Amino acid sequence: MPTKTINVDYLARVEGEGALDIEITGDAVTSAQLRIFEPPRFFEAFLRGRGYAETPDIVARICGICPIAYQMSVVHAIEDAFGTKVDGQLRALRRLIYCGEWIESHALHVVMLHAPDFLGLPDAIRMARDHGDLVRSALALKKAGNDIMRLLGGREIHPVNVKPGGFHRVPSRAELQTLVERLENARNIATDLVRWVATFPFPDLERDYEFVALRHENEYPLNEGRLVSSCDIDIDIADYESEFEERHVPHSTALHSLLKRRGAYLVGPLARYALNFDRLPSTVQALAEEVGLDRICRNPFKSIVVRAIEILFACEEALRIITAYEPPAEAAVPLVPRAGTGFGCTEAPRGICWHRYEFAEDGTIARARIVPPTSQNQPSIEADLAVVAGSLLDQPDEVIRARCEQTIRNYDPCISCSTHFLKLTVHRS
Amino acid sequence: MNDPAHRRIAVLGIGNVDRGDDAVGVGVAHRLARRLPSDVALLVCNGDILGLVEDWAKYDALICVDAAAPMGTPGRIHRLDAAQDELPPCPSLASSHAFGLAEAIALARELGVLPNPTIVYAIEGACFDAGGAITPKVAAALDATAERIITEIGRMNSLAAPAET
Repeated sequence: MPTKTINVDYLARVEGEGALDIEITGDAVTSAQLRIFEPPRFFEAFLRGRGYAETPDIVARICGICPIAYQMSVVHAIEDAFGTKVDGQLRALRRLIYCGEWIESHALHVVMLHAPDFLGLPDAIRMARDHGDLVRSALALKKAGNDIMRLLGGREIHPVNVKPGGFHRVPSRAELQTLVERLENARNIATDLVRWVATFPFPDLERDYEFVALRHENEYPLNEGRLVSSCDIDIDIADYESEFEERHVPHSTALHSLLKRRGAYLVGPLARYALNFDRLPSTVQALAEEVGLDRICRNPFKSIVVRAIEILFACEEALRIITAYEPPAEAAVPLVPRAGTGFGCTEAPRGICWHRYEFAEDGTIARARIVPPTSQNQPSIEADLAVVAGSLLDQPDEVIRARCEQTIRNYDPCISCSTHFLKLTVHRS
Repeated sequence: MNDPAHRRIAVLGIGNVDRGDDAVGVGVAHRLARRLPSDVALLVCNGDILGLVEDWAKYDALICVDAAAPMGTPGRIHRLDAAQDELPPCPSLASSHAFGLAEAIALARELGVLPNPTIVYAIEGACFDAGGAITPKVAAALDATAERIITEIGRMNSLAAPAET
């Protein structure tokens, strides 16, 4: 039986270092492996022995695209362990800074990294020649997200203003008002962006994912909620390990996360949207319906539409929070360290980011466990690749290669986070 | 340019001050802080350069200072005219973090917002370790680069003087 191998030795337009190997024997895909070779980063190990107050600045370094996800998950875990609840305007400000991260991360991915795939263009620089207005729109969206990050976080990359209990400094009403004009413009841009990406030619693919996301009683999830799935999971975040496990695989320096009972699952925009459509503002729901996006979308290529929807949501949510803002009396709730275990789970742009920490009496970290979204999606990415490559076996390798890269970018994977990821190789035999 | 007698010039220092010689662009910007004509904009970028691209349309001339990959001569100053020539791409373009200066300039060129001239001073680094300081040979290039930029601005303004128009 002849075998053919297709390799992508270094995947572009994703964050981090990884590669893809597809093996085809006869008329079947026998293996699709996402090889993550970015070196392990040992964050969980070097958090041991560090004081709880240091952690937001340490975990922010896991990722330059989604530092807020790591900061939010760790501060919630600390507060959980120390028996403190952060509420009111401090909680609202946490949602606001998370909106900033969603806007800038999603805008970068939707327009600058993923849209070129649908337009048959090599990259955003080439796209700027034919679609300059759209690239300008992305830059404006990104700037709106960055503004939030800078105002609340001190700077847009690796922000420094988040602390356990709240913030080092909270903004005045007047400072938040400076964001409004750009956010209102961003909301209009996001609306146009949803309508534009919804017209892309989407490969015909439906996958039977088990969606996993946070679900809150009345909010589209960012910082808080129960862990739910499209099958039967509805658990407290502290019970994550009862349903999910991580496994080493030979071809990846990132652990693979799996459902103990059913294997691969999906986190991220498609999952959040499917499980929380009813929590979106009516204006956002109406736009999704206008562009023909079903309430549950199982076509991974349409994740670009859902990301654009979530940009719009984040703009609206940010404006809502700013309108209702009254500066809190204190920038942070005081914490009293105690021995214990705390859990944090928040919705990074790419999906749930789950943390567990064990603290000593003085608040130093005895053990840390961080499960980033990309490691949770790896098995689903590989399953998608096998299906996509299998549908293109009569096509030249270059066609297979391009579609497989696009398939990976459906996930906006952050390889750097997950190794704590890309090349494509197709083997035909 | 709106006023042909006076160019709107910006100097942009780029770098991460926590990564050894990568700080050199920011270091040059700091040396220029009180020495530039008051109408020259001094910008510093520690992270997201994409956020600056659209703003470049406001300027008639742009001078960028950034660290260059090691090529055997730490501290050597390279001067490139980016409006005329393409810069070599960042070696880690595959990363979504890596919209580096070369990619930002290429994007600005496609969007029609790249000032002409755009001059890049690229200073060869030696060590980019996290938490490291600027190495001595690269530090020695800080003043020399600042002086060259002041001279460059003087030349740009004299070329734009009324007698020239």
